[in-house]
Amino acid sequence: MFLTRLLKPTITASAHCDLPCGVYDPEQARIEAESCYKIIEKYKASNDEQFKTRAILIKEERAELAKHHIDVLWSDYFKPEHVQKYPEITELCWKAAKQCSKVKSSLELSDAKTLLEMIDKIAEVWTKAGGPQATRVQNGVAARA
Amino acid sequence: MEPALWAGDWIVVAGYSRPPRVGEIVLVRDPRNPENLMLKRVAAVADGACTVLGDRPEESTDSRTFGPVPLGNVVGRALFRYAPIGRIGWLW
Repeated sequence: MFLTRLLKPTITASAHCDLPCGVYDPEQARIEAESCYKIIEKYKASNDEQFKTRAILIKEERAELAKHHIDVLWSDYFKPEHVQKYPEITELCWKAAKQCSKVKSSLELSDAKTLLEMIDKIAEVWTKAGGPQATRVQNGVAARA
Repeated sequence: MEPALWAGDWIVVAGYSRPPRVGEIVLVRDPRNPENLMLKRVAAVADGACTVLGDRPEESTDSRTFGPVPLGNVVGRALFRYAPIGRIGWLW
């Protein structure tokens, strides 16, 4: 056992892969964030304790999903050349991911609204960086617009 | 990187005293996030950067996604696997 501990590597590197489908859109995070917003609204309007408990649980789950989608955009979609051109994207994604954590624990509509605004700012950069053309199947975007 | 490397393999990596060569497995820092260390195979070396690819192109995130990796991001070459015991051996 001692030997195993001695020989155990100290640094971990990943050689695993993910499947790069190449579809990235901040809308995915926005929908989850909108869920959080609406859930807080419904929570405040309800007197049903059971419903309110479920609302909290589901809001946390949705906020975590929003965070995941922001992380994926940041780590998989935005490339060094985007960061060079739009340096603000680093802080936008970082702050939005942190705001997701805030929304997880908060029941303030203003926190959820702040998150929506942050995601919209990320979406602006995504659009400027050619995201809609580069990542979406064109009919999908057209149908939404 | 299967079948060359499997998740959980314990390997020895040594720093380079020369530029990496095509076919070698290298430990590189992800140009998008230098904290992320990855093992990939060198596909080409040119102009101070190397193109790295996973061995399973259909499932790999590699230079096709993040571009050539500057040689400064190459930490070293994967040389030897010392665990698990059944798969001990050189990595070339």
